[in-house]
Amino acid sequence: MKDILRHPDRSIAAKLIIATGLLIFVVSFIFWFATLKKQKSDIMSIALKYGSSFVEFAKQSTKHSMLTNQRDETQRVLETLSTPEGVQKTEIYNHSGEIVFGSKKESLGKSVDKSTIVCSGCHLETEGDAALRPVMQTWSVYKDETDSTSLRIIRQINNEKDCYTASCHVHPKEQQILGFVEANLSLALLDEALFKQGLALTAYVIVFVFAVSLFLGIINYKIVTNPVQKLAQGMGKVAGGDFDQAVAVNSVDEIGVLASTFNSMIKDLKAAGEQREKWTQTLEDEIAKKTEEIKKTQAGLVQTEKLASLGRMAAGVAHEINNPLTGVVTFAHLLKQRCEPGSDDAEDLDVIIEQAERCAKIIKNLLTFARATPAEKGHINVNNVVTRTMQLVKNQEKFHNVKFHLDLDDGPFISNGDGTQFQQICLNMFLNAADAMKLRGDITVKSHQVEEDSKPFVEIVFADTGSGIKEEDMAKLFEPFFTTKPVDKGTGLGLSITHGIVKHLGGNIRIESTLGKGTSFFVRLPLTELTHE
Amino acid sequence: MNKVLVIDDEPIVRISSKRTLEPEGYEVKLADSGKAGIEFLEKESFDLILLDLKMPDMSGIEVLAVVMDRWPGTKVIIVTGYSTVETAVEALRLGAFNHIEKPFTPDSLLTAVNEVFEKKDK
Repeated sequence: MKDILRHPDRSIAAKLIIATGLLIFVVSFIFWFATLKKQKSDIMSIALKYGSSFVEFAKQSTKHSMLTNQRDETQRVLETLSTPEGVQKTEIYNHSGEIVFGSKKESLGKSVDKSTIVCSGCHLETEGDAALRPVMQTWSVYKDETDSTSLRIIRQINNEKDCYTASCHVHPKEQQILGFVEANLSLALLDEALFKQGLALTAYVIVFVFAVSLFLGIINYKIVTNPVQKLAQGMGKVAGGDFDQAVAVNSVDEIGVLASTFNSMIKDLKAAGEQREKWTQTLEDEIAKKTEEIKKTQAGLVQTEKLASLGRMAAGVAHEINNPLTGVVTFAHLLKQRCEPGSDDAEDLDVIIEQAERCAKIIKNLLTFARATPAEKGHINVNNVVTRTMQLVKNQEKFHNVKFHLDLDDGPFISNGDGTQFQQICLNMFLNAADAMKLRGDITVKSHQVEEDSKPFVEIVFADTGSGIKEEDMAKLFEPFFTTKPVDKGTGLGLSITHGIVKHLGGNIRIESTLGKGTSFFVRLPLTELTHE
Repeated sequence: MNKVLVIDDEPIVRISSKRTLEPEGYEVKLADSGKAGIEFLEKESFDLILLDLKMPDMSGIEVLAVVMDRWPGTKVIIVTGYSTVETAVEALRLGAFNHIEKPFTPDSLLTAVNEVFEKKDK
């Protein structure tokens, strides 16, 4: 509300109130003015009527005394007529303007003021025998010496038969106008009444203007300002992002329609916003998922590429080392032949030969990893190979304290590839598990079907209850020569070879490990159509 | 005396072969490339060739093809690294007598070489 008063140019209500107020004021003013004028003219005509009657009455009252030339009587009548309050004076003067009779004795014999309508009411000029006006003015309103309004009314006294035939013979027959009766009546009372009425009217008009303006203002505020402000506040909130605030305008007029349209619009906006939010979320989730997939794929690619280049390098190195190794082995043998059997030198040479042969073995393993072993084409029956390999190792000394648990889903799970290679994977897994458990614990093998990129895969899980793998070792696990086993126990090639074979079979391998609890290897191989036949 | 030609670009392999075989009564000649080996073969005949597969100028398979064509009576033992076992298999199919893997011990070399002549003698 304060804002409206402070900035009327910014408020519809203020503009409306000012406009209607102005209109009411102007209309009221016109009404006030017209009413006052009408009252004045009404009162004036009444005054004129009564004034005329009074003059006529004076004329008739003095008629007899004048016909009979009783001058004193005429004078007395005039004096009597002038006694009531409001009658200022009554005079009779002849055509030349000389006052013959009058209520005021001091005026008798004097000439009337010719500048007043006494002469100019009928004559165009005041001197001589001037021409007559087309319309004669027989009355006038003027301010007397006490500054109160007075009415002057004149009646001419025409020459009649009784006059020129009267015995006094004062007036000849040819004289048309004998004189005039003039009455001066005070309008002070009427003025006062007019003034009081005007005052009352003004007061009424002011009260009316004020009341109507106030009423219109309130109506305006209720019907326009308040709903518009609510609407504006609602819009402000929506602009600020708050879609929960509906505009509470309950009318059915244009503003009500506007508000309900606005409400349904923000409802739609809110729904659209939520939908958009949902889409954004879905999109973000999708992006996050894809990013994760890409990261995984990339990590896999990097790993594969790394292993591949390591493999190439290892193969190259291994190949070159084979030649000098041949020399070492040969010459150590030759040297040994020249030594006395059982001598210290012979024993030392045995060590050289043994270690050189160990080198040869490492290189052989390394080359197994590095080269793409030409797989025999065929089908791998996953469950069969797992079971067979398990039976193969179970009886070996290394696995005497290891308990095997098989949890294989009904297959058959058939994958394209060389069964021997898959057996090598299983063997590696069992050997690693046994080592990780220090030859004592449980190995669980599960197999089940999974979907990857909408393609069917068989997932084989090798879980042990061993020591687990350290976080920092995880990334290096598939690198050749990486081993946590004691020097003589492992070459660090088992998992590299496994990785190579799994990739070659079109699958993938993943590890989950908890330190102190155990490790699970998840090997996935693509299923062939045969599985479903 | 049985004559053996060793074709290998690696000096240590050539020397190792020579030092293993000579004391056992073989006459050993050494060639450091496929071309050198063929030059030897053109001058004199050999009973056995120890042939490396991986050599810079001419591969062992190419040399083998020439030998099988021009000197079909000469036996060939392929000496190869493990990584080229498929090539070894191919070589055997082309007519090589046997193959041994590097690094070889004097015993394994002698066993393979003796086998050739035992069969030949029979």
